[in-house]
Amino acid sequence: MKTQKLLAPTVLGRACLLAVLGCATVAWAQTSASLSEQDFLAEMPIVLSVSRLPQRLDDTPGAVTIIDRDFIRLSGARDVADLLRLVPGFQTSTSFERVGPQVSYHGGFGGYSNRLQVLVDGRSTYSPYLIGGTEMGLQTVALPDIERIEVLRGSNSAAYGARAFLGVINIVTRDSSDTLGLQGSLAAGANGIRDSGARIGWGQYDATFRLSADRRADDGLLGSNGRNQVGRFNFRADLRLNARDEVELRAGSHVIDAGRGSVGNVDDAARDASFGTAYTQLDWRRNLGVDEDLAFSFSRTQESFFDSYPYSLIPLGINDSIDISASGRSSNDSLSLQHTLRYGSALRIVWGGELRREQVVSQPAYHTDAALITNFTRLFGNAEWRLAPSLLLNAGAMAERSSVDGASLAPRLMLNWHSSAGQTWRAGVSRAFRPPSAFERSADVRYEWNGHLLVQSFLATGKVRPESVLVREMGYLGEIKRLGFSLDLRAFHEQINGFVRNSLFDSVHAGVRDYINSEDFTIQGLEYQLKFRPWSGVHLIFNQTYTTISSTDLSTATAAPRLASSLALFQKLPGGLDLSLMHQMNGPSTLQGGGYRDQTELNRTDLRLALPVRFGANRGELALVVQNTGGPYQDFDAKFWFQRRAFVTLRLDN
Amino acid sequence: MMARLRLLLLSLWLGTLAAAGAQAAATLVVVSSASGGAYLEATEALIEELVAGGLARTKIERLSVAEFAAARSLAPRLFVALGAEAANALAKSEQRVPVLCTLLPRSSYERALLEGGRRASGQFSALYLDQPLSRHLDLIRVALPDARKVGLLWGPDSKAQAATLKDLARSRNLEWTEASVSPGESLFASLARTLVGADVLLAVADPQVYNSNSIQNILLTSFRARVPVVGFSPAYVRAGALLAVHVTPAQLGRQAGALAHGVLAGKALPAAPLYSQDFEIAVNEHVARSLGLALDAQALRERLLRLEGAP
Repeated sequence: MKTQKLLAPTVLGRACLLAVLGCATVAWAQTSASLSEQDFLAEMPIVLSVSRLPQRLDDTPGAVTIIDRDFIRLSGARDVADLLRLVPGFQTSTSFERVGPQVSYHGGFGGYSNRLQVLVDGRSTYSPYLIGGTEMGLQTVALPDIERIEVLRGSNSAAYGARAFLGVINIVTRDSSDTLGLQGSLAAGANGIRDSGARIGWGQYDATFRLSADRRADDGLLGSNGRNQVGRFNFRADLRLNARDEVELRAGSHVIDAGRGSVGNVDDAARDASFGTAYTQLDWRRNLGVDEDLAFSFSRTQESFFDSYPYSLIPLGINDSIDISASGRSSNDSLSLQHTLRYGSALRIVWGGELRREQVVSQPAYHTDAALITNFTRLFGNAEWRLAPSLLLNAGAMAERSSVDGASLAPRLMLNWHSSAGQTWRAGVSRAFRPPSAFERSADVRYEWNGHLLVQSFLATGKVRPESVLVREMGYLGEIKRLGFSLDLRAFHEQINGFVRNSLFDSVHAGVRDYINSEDFTIQGLEYQLKFRPWSGVHLIFNQTYTTISSTDLSTATAAPRLASSLALFQKLPGGLDLSLMHQMNGPSTLQGGGYRDQTELNRTDLRLALPVRFGANRGELALVVQNTGGPYQDFDAKFWFQRRAFVTLRLDN
Repeated sequence: MMARLRLLLLSLWLGTLAAAGAQAAATLVVVSSASGGAYLEATEALIEELVAGGLARTKIERLSVAEFAAARSLAPRLFVALGAEAANALAKSEQRVPVLCTLLPRSSYERALLEGGRRASGQFSALYLDQPLSRHLDLIRVALPDARKVGLLWGPDSKAQAATLKDLARSRNLEWTEASVSPGESLFASLARTLVGADVLLAVADPQVYNSNSIQNILLTSFRARVPVVGFSPAYVRAGALLAVHVTPAQLGRQAGALAHGVLAGKALPAAPLYSQDFEIAVNEHVARSLGLALDAQALRERLLRLEGAP
């Protein structure tokens, strides 16, 4: 709660200012009174401009899974991590033991997931704190505010920079003109589930706004230390300044309060931790013509972490205690410019640059009050070149200079061949680098009492170099529209070099750990998603992923199951009822928060039955959700169990 | 100095005389609501058609609405009014010479009839700028054969066409989903209602519904819902509508020229106003590609022409 007090006023103040700014905009064109030839002859502003038209799925330089609003609603999921469970190649947890529910692609290599990028409306929410992670970013927005989630499966550093090492989760929120009016939602049920949310949208054509606030709360996993709560608010304004210029303003904050540790464990005592983040973002898009757009973006993200507990020194013969802490704060500032242009129907180019500054301050983690600052300068470009009507080449690269790690170049080449209508074959290669995080480079964790060093757990020498990945992949995307059938297949070979992990410092410094480039290994396999609508009102989605990790480290080698499968069935029933049935079956893999011995299999079945409701003029939906209808399964840590969770949700729109 | 002034006055006087002489002698007078752009394009095509038919250029007079109001002793055999303002001026005038209104939509022509106390006849006829509803529906059938349900948004101007359009849709086995937008009302809610279940949104021109303020919302919301928009002008297609059937000012000018030629040869103007015979199809190929469609404007035009039984 400390962090909420710290962050909320600034953002609230900014949000109000933005709202005032938005209201001050004026309509730039007048509506004529009656129809005349001018309605047919007058020019119109370019709306679906070159940068607004997304690449088609069969033109993208890689595999993309789109999670749309229908899927979000029908899944019964309560957060983004739970949705990604049903994306090929993903491993997820629901634990709040580190920061929040975790997602990883092709391997959960530890308690934090730092090899994926999470973007919310184009803003990187990657947390530079400690060893980096996406857990905070995944909690940025409530599910009802999401238009779609684009999951780019595979390295995307050529377009999104170093953090997109193994993939990108691109969360796109709803346009504020689509969420006018009021919406309220409630969820309550087993395991202390108490979610609530409210949203208001207002405005006219040239300026629309949305303010939403919600809370997601439950009692956490069986065996974990109690309650978790995510409280958040988000503001968005879409402003049209004139026929060419559009501005989008966003601000928000969220706080995760979670119980961590366990009673009686002196090394990991039961306690309440709190993590907060707040952001502001300005996007300005100028249309330069039918074939040209310019986009400018500025964002600032601040994070604060509070996690501390007393450690008794009595076993050491000292009648005192010290604080074990991981508290600190971090911030990101980003300024970017992107130019999109099209030459006829055969060539589209996106290029631009970004200046980014990341700061981390944590006395307990770095033994200094000084900020650790990394400045990034990025130049990127991608050419989408239609060599022939059926052949598309995507060639792109990002050159990145970090003030700490120097320069790197992440190129990508992908060839898409549309062999016939609805059939696309894809082959390509890409290379990416992940620079070590602040903690991996500069960790200095000491436990001192009265000026005496008692224990040192981390002392990073800073010798660690960026790890790299060379990805070779082939894919197939097939669609038979009249049968409602589609198949998305990706075969991958991801060669990781200089994988960063911690290891004992040396024989002199017993128990002290450093981060090193430990080994090279490959992640290879095949994954596919099959969608089918065999009869009216039914939608079937079947995923399978085969993964082999060649690491010599046993827990790394089993960081992803060799075979993971999931099936989702959505059936429309008479009376407007929606029935959802989802089953997930993962082979044994190492739990993210555990070691090699902590391996588990996952068998989980979810059910959802929803019916439309109406209260006067208000429409909505009442649903019963049962997550994990079977017995408990281990989640994140061998001590934590995901039990059956049954809850009821109610949503009302006006 | 005085000599220069005298010279200037003399030339102005001579100029006026010459203009009056030309007006008196003109066989055909074109009254244009505005100059340049589409009006110029239509006028030039009209003149070219007439000249090709044997009329001397000097027999064609071009006037603005203000010049027409100020002019006296006009005695052509035919007036051609370009645009709604010119049609209104001619409808209200005492002229009893046949008038052909063009480069204006049907509702503007009907308003001119009403305000001028006239009725559609060989004396006051029209060649419309807007396209027949049947042509819009046929375009949907040809370009989007899988589309079954047409989304419609009605405003005060377009509402009168609702019944006709539904009859035409029914005869083509098309269904519809519709909503009305009242003056001053935001169309957000109506648009959202219309898009539910719609396979295509057919924009029927109405300034209360489709204008430069609302176009952003209409095109973006439809695109997000993956509902293609069939617009009514090439500008709409450039802005992001999938396609549109429209007539160019030059095509209208040519057809008006042919009709005028008939009048000069002793025929009457058609008593029932006409829609353009010729038309163009505009396709936004980038939007089409994004929606997974491959459309060829020329092929679509030919198929429509064949459907309409054109030779």
